[in-house]
Amino acid sequence: MLTWLRRLIALGVVGLVLAFALGSLLPHLRTESPSLTVDISDPELIQKGEYVARTADCFACHTTLEGEDYAGGLPMLTPLGAIYSTNITPDKETGIGDYTFEDFYNAVKHGVRKDNAALYPAMPYPSYQIMPEEDIAAMYAYFMSAVKPVKRENQASELPPVFNWRWPLAYWQAIFAPEREFVAEHEDEVLARGQYLIEGPGHCGSCHTERGIGYQEVALSNLDSERFLSGATIDGWRAKSLRGEYKGLGTWSTEELVDFFKTGRTETTAAFGAMAEVVEHSTQYMTEEDLYAMAAYLKTLSPAPGKPVAGPNKEDTTTQKLLDGVYDSRGALLYVEYCLVCHRADGMGVPRIFPALAGNSAVFTENAESVLQITLSGGRMPETPHDRMAFSMPSFSSLSDADIAEVVNYIRNSWGNEASEINVDDVVKMRHFLSKKPRVGTDLPPHLGTSAQPQGGQHE
Amino acid sequence: MNKMHTLCFNWVPKAALVACVALGLAACDRPTPVERDAATYNVVHVEDANKDIGTYVIPQDTAIVNEPNADEIFYGKRLLNETKRLLPDNVGASMNCNSCHIAQGKVPLGDPYINSYNFYPKVMPRAGKEVDLEARINGCFLRSMNGKALDRDSREMKAMIAYMKWLSQNVPKDQRVDIENAGAIDESLVPDPVRGEEIYYAQCAACHGDNGEGMKDSRGDIVFPPLWGDESFNIGAGLARTYKAAAFVKYNMPMGIQTVGLWGHGNVLSDQDAVDVSEFFAHKPRPDFPGKENDWPLPSMPKPKDARY
Repeated sequence: MLTWLRRLIALGVVGLVLAFALGSLLPHLRTESPSLTVDISDPELIQKGEYVARTADCFACHTTLEGEDYAGGLPMLTPLGAIYSTNITPDKETGIGDYTFEDFYNAVKHGVRKDNAALYPAMPYPSYQIMPEEDIAAMYAYFMSAVKPVKRENQASELPPVFNWRWPLAYWQAIFAPEREFVAEHEDEVLARGQYLIEGPGHCGSCHTERGIGYQEVALSNLDSERFLSGATIDGWRAKSLRGEYKGLGTWSTEELVDFFKTGRTETTAAFGAMAEVVEHSTQYMTEEDLYAMAAYLKTLSPAPGKPVAGPNKEDTTTQKLLDGVYDSRGALLYVEYCLVCHRADGMGVPRIFPALAGNSAVFTENAESVLQITLSGGRMPETPHDRMAFSMPSFSSLSDADIAEVVNYIRNSWGNEASEINVDDVVKMRHFLSKKPRVGTDLPPHLGTSAQPQGGQHE
Repeated sequence: MNKMHTLCFNWVPKAALVACVALGLAACDRPTPVERDAATYNVVHVEDANKDIGTYVIPQDTAIVNEPNADEIFYGKRLLNETKRLLPDNVGASMNCNSCHIAQGKVPLGDPYINSYNFYPKVMPRAGKEVDLEARINGCFLRSMNGKALDRDSREMKAMIAYMKWLSQNVPKDQRVDIENAGAIDESLVPDPVRGEEIYYAQCAACHGDNGEGMKDSRGDIVFPPLWGDESFNIGAGLARTYKAAAFVKYNMPMGIQTVGLWGHGNVLSDQDAVDVSEFFAHKPRPDFPGKENDWPLPSMPKPKDARY
């Protein structure tokens, strides 16, 4: 009996040692030696690299609210504890100053650190995997030559043991982040460029594609499956479906999408939450051609599987009631007191100032987390030079949880909107989640440094 | 071996204890629904402002349904919110009462109605005599709204007062909620209208228009009121006075800019900014006020330095 137990333990130990050994070996199999030699002082290359870094939105995760550019430290909450983004400034001690191009290339593209440890998949290397060597070389030149070195030590993750071991991540990489090449779906060059930007550097799927049991994106491209970009929930935001059904981008035109990427708003909507960060740090800097390419490609995506293609044909009875002073529910009373002055009786808001609630899929999407979060925490539009001012939504956290549920259900089911009812527990959960969530730039008011300077156009 | 055993023996119950405490805390940590966290202010006696005699809680409109005259209060609330649409014969300007009275008169420094019901009647410098609440409201109709007075006994006048009475939450007549209706502004500052114009186009024009024309929605209802021109307030309005306007602008404008406050409003401009921009828009062309010669009749109550006539 005892002998068997000993053998079993011995077998377990040997297995673990083997698993560890293989796990330590796996990253070596992923890495490669790029063929290019990079002249990091080439001004043209640096400039190109800056643009590529914008398309890849490195800034959003590698910079904190009060921190210096690219010095890292932004916590990303996981159910097991926070992990922190790293310092990617060229500081030799604490950043990536002693990274060779090969080190940089393998980190960005394969998720393997200079010391051959596997990176957490919070870094979207499964998306960056399809980026060409030339673009990564340009980014390398930019980070080494144009980003200010900042001395800031990386923070250890708060994950418990086992989960904070690096070697098991190598298995994750082997299973979920296989080597892949970019395969254009369309012969059209514009659509191919758009697809590349969406799938690769833009890493839209990091938020907009749901994740599977191993935290992997269930599809990395549209060719993988129609679940690509079909909507997911992350950081208490519902990243909506970007596919062709009406709750996705079915009601959006290509022109509206370009306007949205460039300015963070359209006549009826405004980017908020994590997407406001994306516009502020990434898409507003992109060329008109690239924005058009992304928009045009998104509009080719079929409706998400199993989702209604068209919306309900519901008559608007809300507007007239509000105009007539027929406040026939607690939700209506709350709407009139707190929301109507900006979002208006017809729920159409004010073009480019206050977003519409009527017909706005961010409001009536099945999962109500986004509308709950913005109602409780407030937030603002991205700041860009295209509009004079970036407007904010104030926090309504002083309302009771029950009333938040009432008013959210009211806006989700008024005018032509139709959505499932949320309950007070959903509000309780969101409030609890927000009490732990780190603040980011768009949680706070725009730059209010007054005087004669417009508020738009002030960004990093 | 013996030592090891002791260690283990000691360690196990402690671990169990820690686990129990952790579980207990986890149970305590389970969040429960929160109630409304309403703004509260002290209630003070008119004669002795230092005497703290109670607390005023800003009521939520959902409580109106419990009032015996709920319909009248709701009507008053609608009239204050949508004055131009509901009372077109009395409102000349494209203006609602609550264009200036922030968040339905519930916000200190934003021209609140919180103390209005108790404050009047009162001798006012501009009138040089005692003014009651009806007369004060009609003052707004004649000046800020550039319109016609309401019949003092009309259903509309009574409804607006009913809303203000409800908002006073039965604070006794000789007591006040300890708030300010308007914020402080440094009146020694010299206005610079050229700088004011620059501030206007950067910080105000997105809503109030490049020509001060304001903004209407698709039905023609007012979203942002005009700040000058034929559809704006006349020179008899408080807002036509530089420093009075500056005190409003500083603490209440722009709206939708902060992530706190009912309108996400105010506290963007410095005193100088507010004085400059107010000088700029207040002195733009606007309707005259026919009764202006009767203002500030008493030498003992002289007109302020920013009066327009």
